[in-house]
Amino acid sequence: MPTLIIDNQSVTVPEGTNVLEAAQQLGIVVPHFCYHEALGAVGACRLCAMLFIDGPVKGMQMSCMVEAKDGMVVSTEAPEAVAYRGQVIEWLMLNHPHDCPVCDEGGECQLQDMTVASGHSVRRYTGKKRTYLNQDLGPFIHHEMNRCIQCYRCVRTYQDYCGGTDYGVLGSNQRLYFGRFQDGPLESPFAGNLIDLCPTGVLTNKPYRFTSRFWDLQEAPSVCPHCSLGCATIPGARFRELQRVRSGNNPEINGCFICDRGRFGYDYVNHSDRPRTPLLHGEEIPWNEALETLLQRLTKLIECHGSDSIALLGSGRASLEANYLLQRLSEQLGSAAPVYGSHAGRDRAARAATTLPTELSASLADVRNSDLILLTGADPLAEGPMLALAIRQAVRNGGRVMICDPRPVELPCSTEYLACQPQELLQLLSALSLGETLPTKLQPLVEALQLAQRPVLIGGGDLLGAEGTTALLAAAQKLNSEDRSCLAMVLLPEANSFGAALLAADGPDFEQLLADMASGRIKALVCLEADPLTDCPDRQQLLQGLEQLDFLAVFDHLPSLIAAKADLLLPTTALAEGAGTLINNEGRMQAFAPVFSPGQPLRITSQGNHPPRSFSTTTPGALPCQAWALLAKLCDLPVDLAKIRRELATQEPRLAGLPDLLAEGSGQRIQSADKPLSQPHALITEQVDALQLLACETLYGSEVLSAHSSPLDPVRPQPYLLLHELDADRLGIAAGDLVRLSAGEIQLTLPAQLSDRMAAGVVIVPHLRRTELESFYPGQPSQPCRVEKVSAL
Amino acid sequence: MAELLSAEEIIELKGQIAAVHEPRELIIEVLQAVQKSHGWVPDAGVKLAAELLGLSPLQVDEVATFYDKIYRSPVGRKVIHVCDSICCWTRGTELVYRHLQQVLGIVPGETTSDGCFTLLPTCCLGACDKSPAMRIGDRLYGELTVERVNTILADERQETEA
Ligand code: SF4
Ligand code: SF4
Ligand code: FES
Ligand code: FES
Repeated sequence: MPTLIIDNQSVTVPEGTNVLEAAQQLGIVVPHFCYHEALGAVGACRLCAMLFIDGPVKGMQMSCMVEAKDGMVVSTEAPEAVAYRGQVIEWLMLNHPHDCPVCDEGGECQLQDMTVASGHSVRRYTGKKRTYLNQDLGPFIHHEMNRCIQCYRCVRTYQDYCGGTDYGVLGSNQRLYFGRFQDGPLESPFAGNLIDLCPTGVLTNKPYRFTSRFWDLQEAPSVCPHCSLGCATIPGARFRELQRVRSGNNPEINGCFICDRGRFGYDYVNHSDRPRTPLLHGEEIPWNEALETLLQRLTKLIECHGSDSIALLGSGRASLEANYLLQRLSEQLGSAAPVYGSHAGRDRAARAATTLPTELSASLADVRNSDLILLTGADPLAEGPMLALAIRQAVRNGGRVMICDPRPVELPCSTEYLACQPQELLQLLSALSLGETLPTKLQPLVEALQLAQRPVLIGGGDLLGAEGTTALLAAAQKLNSEDRSCLAMVLLPEANSFGAALLAADGPDFEQLLADMASGRIKALVCLEADPLTDCPDRQQLLQGLEQLDFLAVFDHLPSLIAAKADLLLPTTALAEGAGTLINNEGRMQAFAPVFSPGQPLRITSQGNHPPRSFSTTTPGALPCQAWALLAKLCDLPVDLAKIRRELATQEPRLAGLPDLLAEGSGQRIQSADKPLSQPHALITEQVDALQLLACETLYGSEVLSAHSSPLDPVRPQPYLLLHELDADRLGIAAGDLVRLSAGEIQLTLPAQLSDRMAAGVVIVPHLRRTELESFYPGQPSQPCRVEKVSAL
Repeated sequence: MAELLSAEEIIELKGQIAAVHEPRELIIEVLQAVQKSHGWVPDAGVKLAAELLGLSPLQVDEVATFYDKIYRSPVGRKVIHVCDSICCWTRGTELVYRHLQQVLGIVPGETTSDGCFTLLPTCCLGACDKSPAMRIGDRLYGELTVERVNTILADERQETEA
């Protein structure tokens, strides 16, 4: 660990730190552009000059390019260094327009900051400036090339870090152009990171354009709710509207990047149909009456029909605290423990995932650092997009990726693909966990696993189910040894699926609940941010069960199908409007802080005009409450998050760290269970002849919150069906043909897409909410189906 | 648009591409082939090259637009690249450059009305010992003076008319 002196202060830094970073550790910020913590240093902008007075290097140097060494004496304030930086910033600014007031970057512009910090305040250049035509880069990013300072950060982000191939740098010297070959939407699902990474106003957020200045935004550290990875985000709100999301920085999870689903999925919070008032049979009622009614109705039903006539339903969308208090409510009422999750298969897979010992659980940082990643039944871009980016970094560092999947899993890096039937995945994992020999087709995998130093096994809960998940964890444990660790990661459906599953423990699941509802035993159902009508695969049975209810109460902030049917609707806050904790797929507890208070967005109340001129002491649409606070009241507990967390930590020893959790910081792993991992059994599967239908998550359109976000409207796919080329050939189907899909009772006509990179005999449909495909649900065993050609393209 | 590359040329290029470790190595060669048959490289040429090389059009265009000897817009029958680098500056290239513009009646980047010459500045031609220097097509000319430029232009023009 070298020790050096910068501006008369001594600092000791880890080996390999550059002098610019060392200065930052002392709180000395020297102007810089091309260096970025995630992209590294390239020494291109020439701005970070410091004077090296003593030590192995002397003279004026680019501090980002010099590794900190013992004995260095460095000055950032030497007049030569200051003058040098002043000159550099002056020529970086030569061509720059003089119009910060109309630039959307203004106020959070690194160029503004660095120009001021470098002391350049008077423009001497009076010549002509270089100007460009801008491109249409699609729905997410606005392009204004005149503002470019050629720092190359965008190219390094887009091509190197994210693996995109359709954005780059054209031309040379004075005519550099950063853009695409032709106008058109950026293809990478991580393109939104250009907004955060470009230090000037060239690449800005299109949906957010001209909405707010940075200093007018309310921001707070938060966690992305759009998949189970739990990336750090910083949402920004103004005028009672969530206006944008930028990436936070959690080195254990997402680093400085997020995916476009996470960045542009926020708009469900502003949805005009969102429930905002407590409603009893459609009539507005005050909160105290609503809560009283709820308790009265439930107690009454218990008196008449017994305590097992009440069912409580939690979810992976609700916070850990709210889900826990639901359990407290059930204890208070004397009813059965809550069911967590409206999809029994997914719930069971998540419960299996929670058994993984902490030391075997892989974070995204572990994935980035791995030398062999084995994906079995996991489609990162669909089920946890930032995992795809983490895998790419592993490959950039020389790692290898092997994919076993029935789907054509695509990643932004080179991979080795082995098409596998869904049941083959289970066989593979159970064979690995039992140390049995694998079929010859999987031999390369065995060899790779033997050679790897830091392998990570990754699976998707949807395709593996509880059985496969258990096998995956057991396989990791089997392959883990003193000499080399083998870690595991399971992708789960929702941001707090892990937390909900942890609370579910050995409790009932939704299948049992469905049976009880069908038998007419359940008289009241209380849903906590859960919508069984969109998430339960057995909709017929559910509808029958709902018919038999006397009372349906729904806590939610989404305009969900079940909310529309509720007798009592209790509007709750969205994640950004409250505080709480989520547990991500690796078992990391993460607290989120309130960004803003709920209220009908001004955009809606003023309908694009001046805000209403009538005055009132209340804020329109401000009634939604945090679910945990409502439940605390119902349980007669103090409405105090810290107390609830302390109580929960004593109840559940695995959550011991919960009371110390801060919204800032990288979260905290839960403790391992004290039970040993359960062992899978050898699997025997029967051969199937019919085509097997598999419904799968997609990048856009499957996740429920972002499915309500309008900035994502342009990128949501249209329904389609995917077939192997061989099967298509046999059935006389060409790409683009309309085909009829018959599965069970359902018949649909869809356009066909073909692939040769998938398992033959499998038919894949994307799970697209609010389309005819929404009744095909992932997390189910595949079902036999028929596909016939209807008409050619 | 006429065919950019013949079927034989495509087969030949595909063979070369298959033989290299990294297709990017051959971006210039493929673009030059297009330029040879078409005179310059239109967007369709970039797309064709991308297809042959298994790259995105942007990845090909990054290289195409970097080099000033790959023409991404139409040029005259002959392109004059006048050296615009340091040794030539010290030896009076300015006079040569100004003279060329005068006699051709065009500014840098333009093509003469008869379609014969396009005038472009270029970075060091590696002929510093003979500076000031210029290049017309594949021919290098050094030790330029106004008189020499006149003779060279006459000869070159005659050649295109022949
Ligand atoms: S577009 Fe932005 S990130 Fe890219 S080079 Fe220009 S200023 Fe830098
Ligand atoms: S990967 Fe998941 S958690 Fe991360 S930003 Fe995307 S949707 Fe959000
Ligand atoms: S930050 Fe060091 S040269 Fe750009
Ligand atoms: S500077 Fe003109 S040829 Fe080298």
